[in-house]
Amino acid sequence: MHPFQYQRAESAEQAVAAVAPNPAATFIAGGTSHVDLMKEDVHRPALLVDVSALPLREISAFEGGLRIGAGVSNTAAAYHADVQRRYPAVSEALLAGASMQIRNMATMAGNPLQRTRCPYFRDPTQACNKRQPGSGCAAIGGYNHVHALFGASAACIATHPSDLAVALSALDARVQTLGPRGPRTIAFPELHRLPGDTPHLDTVLAHGELITSIDLLAFTGRSHYLKVRERASYAYALVSCAVALEMSGGKLQRVRVALGGVAHKPWRLPAVEAMLAEQPPSEKLFRAAAQAAFADARPLKHNAYKVPMGRDLLVRALLETSGLRPLQGPAGTAFAASVGGVAGQLAAPR
Amino acid sequence: MAELTDLLPTGASAPDAVLSDGSRLSDLRGRPVILAFAPDEWNPTHAYQSEIFARLSQEFGAGAAFVDTATEDWHALDCRGTLAAQFGVCGQQALFLLDEHGIVRWQTVVGPGQQLRAGQVLAALQALHPAPANGASGEWGSGLSRRTFVTATLAAAALLLLPGCSPGADDKSAPNAQAAARGSGQVAVTLTINGKTHRLQLDPRVALLDALREELHLTGTKKGCDHGQCGACTVHLDGQSALSCLTLAVMAQGKRITTIEGLASGEELHPLQAAFLKHDAFQCGYCTPGQLMAASALLQDPHTPAGSAVELREALSGNLCRCAAYPNIIAAIQEVQRA
Ligand SMILES: Cc1cc2nc3c(=O)[nH]c(=O)nc-3n(C[C@H](O)[C@H](O)[C@H](O)COP(=O)(O)OP(=O)(O)OC[C@H]3O[C@@H](n4cnc5c(N)ncnc54)[C@H](O)[C@@H]3O)c2cc1C
Ligand code: SF4
Ligand code: FES
Ligand code: FES
Repeated sequence: MHPFQYQRAESAEQAVAAVAPNPAATFIAGGTSHVDLMKEDVHRPALLVDVSALPLREISAFEGGLRIGAGVSNTAAAYHADVQRRYPAVSEALLAGASMQIRNMATMAGNPLQRTRCPYFRDPTQACNKRQPGSGCAAIGGYNHVHALFGASAACIATHPSDLAVALSALDARVQTLGPRGPRTIAFPELHRLPGDTPHLDTVLAHGELITSIDLLAFTGRSHYLKVRERASYAYALVSCAVALEMSGGKLQRVRVALGGVAHKPWRLPAVEAMLAEQPPSEKLFRAAAQAAFADARPLKHNAYKVPMGRDLLVRALLETSGLRPLQGPAGTAFAASVGGVAGQLAAPR
Repeated sequence: MAELTDLLPTGASAPDAVLSDGSRLSDLRGRPVILAFAPDEWNPTHAYQSEIFARLSQEFGAGAAFVDTATEDWHALDCRGTLAAQFGVCGQQALFLLDEHGIVRWQTVVGPGQQLRAGQVLAALQALHPAPANGASGEWGSGLSRRTFVTATLAAAALLLLPGCSPGADDKSAPNAQAAARGSGQVAVTLTINGKTHRLQLDPRVALLDALREELHLTGTKKGCDHGQCGACTVHLDGQSALSCLTLAVMAQGKRITTIEGLASGEELHPLQAAFLKHDAFQCGYCTPGQLMAASALLQDPHTPAGSAVELREALSGNLCRCAAYPNIIAAIQEVQRA
């Protein structure tokens, strides 16, 4: 591990002031992504500014929605009664991710800012433009089964691994930040970038810009998250899907859909969303939507399996969210979010 | 996932093997042997290395003359070879000290990207330090011959010269300039573990897991993968389960840390410990401290699922068991939950 100096920040302003002027400084919160990558020598900060003790650990009512402090643990957010009841997709995404221990440590800001699980990114002996700009991309000609179907570039084909980010994108959450030039609000779907020719930048955050909260806007519709993985539990998504929708008079109103595991960011599907609006829900409609959703997918050598998997997942997520099919477990739990594995092993109310 | 080969434990009899010079390990019975799994550049005959030997042997009153003896007993081995696999240290830098009878008396492993600090080596050696000579037998206390002991000292000194090993830490003899040149330096770290306060000087890079095991000798907490993937290192931070391998020790300050050593109350086992025994919820036992810490945190948690096997399996999926004792682990936890 590269040597670093450690500093515990007492206030958000102090944290920003410490990191912003120093290109080799970073924030650290739960440390579950950052420490892991520091041990691999992928992250080599010279100054670590600990933001875990900042007073950003509250969940409070906010403009009809909820404001979740950046430092709230993934566990605390997932089990918060209002989150579980009003935004089950968020709880489902959190509880179907990582393990109990990691969720206890991980924070709401750190989770969407975790780095890709591209194996070449994690291995400093491999070429990787995200880790070392200009060094090339070992995944393009390598084993790319966990890589992107959409929005990849000639420089990077990585996907974003966070489950939470997919749910927050579908819910159009807002990110509040404090940067060297003051506070700002970022719409969650705008937080992450596509790789383009600067894949080392995952998000639009400036260096030293601190996330202070994640805001869930007022929403009375239904939301749901579904995740396919290689084993029953404790694994990243191969493909995942978050849906947020409102229904009235037997018709879908506004529908928002985001896919995970298929792009450098949660992949929103605006054309599909437009196609579903104002329609009565039906399996036929959802199949047509899924067909359209993957029409412009660009599979690589080893990830074409994600196309049929993603289509079926999207259909199932829409059926379950609109109530045409029962959830596979209680809403807001890992059982509702799982495909295979533990899914269907508990009674499914709703 | 990191490979999980069993490390040959202290007290075990070393397997026989062919060494790099063609001799057999069993031919060397009757004298202490150091097996060093390391890169080539590790050579105790180098002048700059023997200087450190001299300093450490002085620290232990061994006398510099022993350097020559020790180098005869020195065997550098490829850390990726079959011998490394036999000793359970595949791909890792490690040192084994075998006594005259071929028994492992001391071993230490430096994982990839990890570093060993002089302080912890010295502490380990203190534990091995022979009692003052008792009579004319020439044998030293704690069953270790003086020669074995001195050899261990020199082995430890050599280990500090491994690339990536820092001589900093709480080692009074290490020149501060050298520590400073490496950039990290030491910070004062106060940890509250099992109700007791510990004041340490640590490199900020030290994970809580390594502070527990190497600095404080609380070795009940296990290192499996060192990357958050197995749960062996689970402890409680403020009553919640957490991974000590992904927690920097400096960041655990101000938290209530509970390790497996703090789970029982005195001689009375925690109900889960008793239930694990009753249900035979382990085979090799390596994952067990982590399983117990995860399960005990879960039982205290207001969000604990009702207790069906499927819910428990999901809640505890972060704790892997190579021996697949899962059915017994779940049965033990369910019994405590029902009680
Ligand atoms: C074995 C394992 C399995 C996992 N499985 C899953 C899974 O299935 N699904 C999933 O989604 N995730 C999974 N994870 C990832 C885990 O969810 C993330 O590591 C965690 O959420 C990161 O949060 P943290 O607080 O620990 O972040 P840290 O590691 O502390 O930080 C991550 C990044 O965010 C930055 N940062 C932290 N806080 C702020 C802030 N307030 N403002 C600006 N920047 C900030 C840091 O500088 C760093 O770059 C897994 C992790 C492990 C180790
Ligand atoms: S896909 Fe991106 S992260 Fe993976 S090796 Fe290529 S550049 Fe690096
Ligand atoms: S040692 Fe495997 S999770 Fe910490
Ligand atoms: S790993 Fe052997 S008992 Fe679990």
